[in-house]
Amino acid sequence: MLPFIRPLRCRPSRPFLTQCTRFNSSSSSHVFPHLASRQSAQHQIYQSLSTDPYVNLSIEHFLLQHTPIDSSILFLYVNRPCVVIGRNQNPWLETNLQAIYNDRIESTPDENEVLYVRRRSGGGAVFHDEGNLNYSVICPRTSFTRNKHAEMVVQALHRIGATDTRVNDRHDIVMSSDKDTQPRKISGSAFKLTRHRALHHGTCLLDSPHIDGLGFFLRSPARDYIKAKGVESVRSPVTNVSTVFPEGFGAFSVRSVIDKIMEEFAHLYNVSPDAVRRAQRAHTDEPELFSGENWVAGSVGDSQGYGEPEIQKGIDELRSLEWKYTQTPQFTFSTYPIEDDPRERPSLPASLPPSTKVFLRLKHGAVVESHISTSADPSIASEQANRVHESLNGRNLHEIPPSQWDAVLERLDEDASIVHELSIFVKSKLGYS
Amino acid sequence: MSAVARTVRPFASRVLSQKLPITAARRVSPAMGFPRGSIRSFSQSPFWEVKKYTESHEWVELAADGKTAKVGITQYASESLGDVVFVELPDADLEVSAGEPVGAVESVKSASDVLSPVSGKVLQGNSILEDNAKFINQSPEDEAWIAELEISDAAELDALLDAEAYKATIDADH
Repeated sequence: MLPFIRPLRCRPSRPFLTQCTRFNSSSSSHVFPHLASRQSAQHQIYQSLSTDPYVNLSIEHFLLQHTPIDSSILFLYVNRPCVVIGRNQNPWLETNLQAIYNDRIESTPDENEVLYVRRRSGGGAVFHDEGNLNYSVICPRTSFTRNKHAEMVVQALHRIGATDTRVNDRHDIVMSSDKDTQPRKISGSAFKLTRHRALHHGTCLLDSPHIDGLGFFLRSPARDYIKAKGVESVRSPVTNVSTVFPEGFGAFSVRSVIDKIMEEFAHLYNVSPDAVRRAQRAHTDEPELFSGENWVAGSVGDSQGYGEPEIQKGIDELRSLEWKYTQTPQFTFSTYPIEDDPRERPSLPASLPPSTKVFLRLKHGAVVESHISTSADPSIASEQANRVHESLNGRNLHEIPPSQWDAVLERLDEDASIVHELSIFVKSKLGYS
Repeated sequence: MSAVARTVRPFASRVLSQKLPITAARRVSPAMGFPRGSIRSFSQSPFWEVKKYTESHEWVELAADGKTAKVGITQYASESLGDVVFVELPDADLEVSAGEPVGAVESVKSASDVLSPVSGKVLQGNSILEDNAKFINQSPEDEAWIAELEISDAAELDALLDAEAYKATIDADH
């Protein structure tokens, strides 16, 4: 059944509205999925009122899958603080799990806690917060290039006065300044391609309050020990766009960047000026949608996914621990050099016997091979390792809570104090404080 | 319809769809009546090597036994995606329907699903790609196949594009 749509009469004093139909959320919360997937909705511009990264990524994914295959979509959103890794990345390697909200236990995150998110697109790990604007463009795959929409954002930044910005060879946006010899990254890009459609989304650090500390959330305590298949992030120095304005943030606002990006998008895809005006004036505290002959514009962000099963399914999937952890490509964790990862290792804490070894091999986030021992005697070490492996084999790493690590390591049959120290070491590397 | 006719029919229409002159196809058709065993003996003949394509740039190649097939991405896809850095392989026993993801590749920050051209059950993912994802850029339509499937219905291949029709879709896009 089609959702109920209530057209409102447009006021004659605002001629650009004569073609518009206004949809108010209070009467038609189901309208968004319907409007977005209509064949006539060739141009769509939305901004999200939600700061929930799972909701925003799922609305975006819905737009990728359900908008007309020849349509062009712009979606802008700002997330609460979160670390977002690429589809084929490893959270134990790419994030500081200790420093972010522990979703591996059942609880509700505090407002200020940093969330961990795995997105559906490729690429590396990034940090989002309220000073970071995310832009997302969905267009036909045939007309897509990897730089097209980064260039669009650069044009918008030039228009607000950040003229030293450009797209680099990694399809990121960098900004030069007199202070630095190297340009600094202000925006990272990632892509998802489907049969007919291409999605390009990117971050844009406008005025992040965490700018000096965001590396902390992206630095894993286990980086010396983990070797992962999949995609490794490329670290780049970052800065805020706001730094080019001597007066700081006062010189421009997130709002003006949003307006300029909308205008550049409209220019690129020949979008009706009515749509742009509507999108720019969309209410900022209450979802409302407008549509014209071939466009839809307005604000979205229903936390329940508009009762649309596809959006809700996307939210549930992104929040699931299976997606977050067991989607991880194969990796090893080893405190000593191994064939797959011959790097020299840092020395273990002095409280542990120098013969201590910890090795784990994981597939789909589950232990498939392990060797944990403390003894210097090879045969005793091997027995220890077998006993420990019996209790680890096949278990999902994220499902072994801190308390159970103690029990697992007691199987070493070692001094309680050493078991305790080893447990502390292992837990700290695997993201438990 | 007899069992023989049912297994044989897809072959006939495939031969036709490969743009052979009608007369050539007719000349082949008596061979269709041969029992299965003798089809195998023809497996070196190009007639029996059935390779089809999808608009989403996957290929499927039926093995000589007519029951299993390999699936991969096309040369065109591998070129347009750029350097592949990771291939997500399917696990054995995964049941897929035609058009559903049977894997995914990542290249230059882009994740793309690999859609299975046909329905079936995964026998294996290509483990070469586990350690060497880039291999897909070197041999996309040959050794760097992504999955081997036990296919549900060989007739599904009939609906797919032959090499020429696939090439036409690429040309039409550009």
